[in-house]
Amino acid sequence: MMPMWTKSGKKHAVTLLKVQDCHVLKYISKEDSDGKSPRLIVGGKNGSPFSRSESEMKIFREAGVPRKQKVTTFNVTDDAIIKPGTPLYAAHFRPGQVVDVTAKTIGKGFQGVMKRWGFKGQPATHGQTKTHRRPGAISTNKASKVYRGKKMPGRMGNIYRTSFGLKVWRINTKHDIIYVNGSVPGHKNCLVKVKDTKLPGYKDCNKNPPFPTYFADGDEELPEDLYDEEIFQFTDPSVTYA
Amino acid sequence: RRSGDAEPAKFKPPPKPVIVDRQRQTAERRFLSPEFIPPRGRTNPLKFLIERKDMIQRRKVFNIPEFYVGHILAVTTADPNANGKTSRFVGICIQRGGKGLGATFVLRNVIEDQGVEICYELYNPRIQEITVLKLEKRLDDNLMYLRDALPEYSTFDVNMKPQSYLDSEEVPVNKLQVRMKPKPWSKRWERPKYRIKGIKFELPEEKMKEAQKWNKPWLEFDMMREYDTSKIEEKIWKEVNEELKK
Repeated sequence: MMPMWTKSGKKHAVTLLKVQDCHVLKYISKEDSDGKSPRLIVGGKNGSPFSRSESEMKIFREAGVPRKQKVTTFNVTDDAIIKPGTPLYAAHFRPGQVVDVTAKTIGKGFQGVMKRWGFKGQPATHGQTKTHRRPGAISTNKASKVYRGKKMPGRMGNIYRTSFGLKVWRINTKHDIIYVNGSVPGHKNCLVKVKDTKLPGYKDCNKNPPFPTYFADGDEELPEDLYDEEIFQFTDPSVTYA
Repeated sequence: RRSGDAEPAKFKPPPKPVIVDRQRQTAERRFLSPEFIPPRGRTNPLKFLIERKDMIQRRKVFNIPEFYVGHILAVTTADPNANGKTSRFVGICIQRGGKGLGATFVLRNVIEDQGVEICYELYNPRIQEITVLKLEKRLDDNLMYLRDALPEYSTFDVNMKPQSYLDSEEVPVNKLQVRMKPKPWSKRWERPKYRIKGIKFELPEEKMKEAQKWNKPWLEFDMMREYDTSKIEEKIWKEVNEELKK
């Protein structure tokens, strides 16, 4: 995570996401997927081929691509279908777009009720016997049972969570890095899924993206860094207020 | 002199004496700002590379002088709410923190009997100018104890003129021992964990001995805490210098 300043002098915190060896692995048509739209399976980050079973390795072999550590599916529209085996780059996103990021949160292990659910616990003094971080009462008298889904101690973290509505500030095409506003679930160097926003307020922001994706061997040559209009680029002189 | 000579004598200037001061060249000051050194951790070194590129870009446009804790600096920032849209603050640098683009330094001064500390970010684009008014290293890396010292040690003239100094001289170390206000202090500065050498403790002997109870002499021999930055510093120094010369 890094700080980043806008032209008006405001500071924002930014997370760097690296697009490492992403390839499209497979295309599943609408009828096969039993859903409302066709799907594309995408894989990220190369890994060793020895710890996966043969049936899983089949997909990688058909696409002609080394074994990937993370494999996810995206629901795509009919006109956005890409041939399996095409590499995907960071330039697929442009500055100004708004994005959702999904990842597995940091695993905290078996945690008590105060850390896991934010319970208040009990006071430290005034005669409390051996009760400072316990949940207290778990149900009422009339219910005479404990409801399903009662918040209790247990394993915390290591589950998929999404942060919505993150703006893309900057894209580095040379190293394939996306600068995304705010924080993102997961630990350092963890594998992450980046998708266009589902929030209705940002529908206008995702105009004119490279469609269906950015092809490296295409005609357009992008500069090394793509900035949003509001970002202060370090080649400019210091910010002044008129 | 005769104009129109067939072969005018060519004027050969005498060879200039070339002074090669070997001693000075070897004792050249190599200062790498501490925010360039990456902290220990499991982050991808690519992140530090990219951050360094941004930092060097900013340094090319805006000059950030070499300064240590204990220097007296004047900083002008752009402020939308001030007259003339700029605000100037003079103070002694008591702490330099943060790594990478988020590096900060805290300036302290006492203005009209009120102690003021402002934490500035080195790479904030609102900063218009940083001038070093007085070069002076102190005995410690962290002068937070000036908050509990007598206010005369933190007062500096706001209209101080910048002191002139040579580039090649070593930064002078001020071995000033500061006198403190009566206890209680904000932190127990006599404890060995702060390793302060710049305070003149006027506490009784028993208190100083009691403070040594919290001494952890095994910490300096702990190998897991060692972080040798000499090789990393050399690499980064070369990289930064090459980029800045371009």
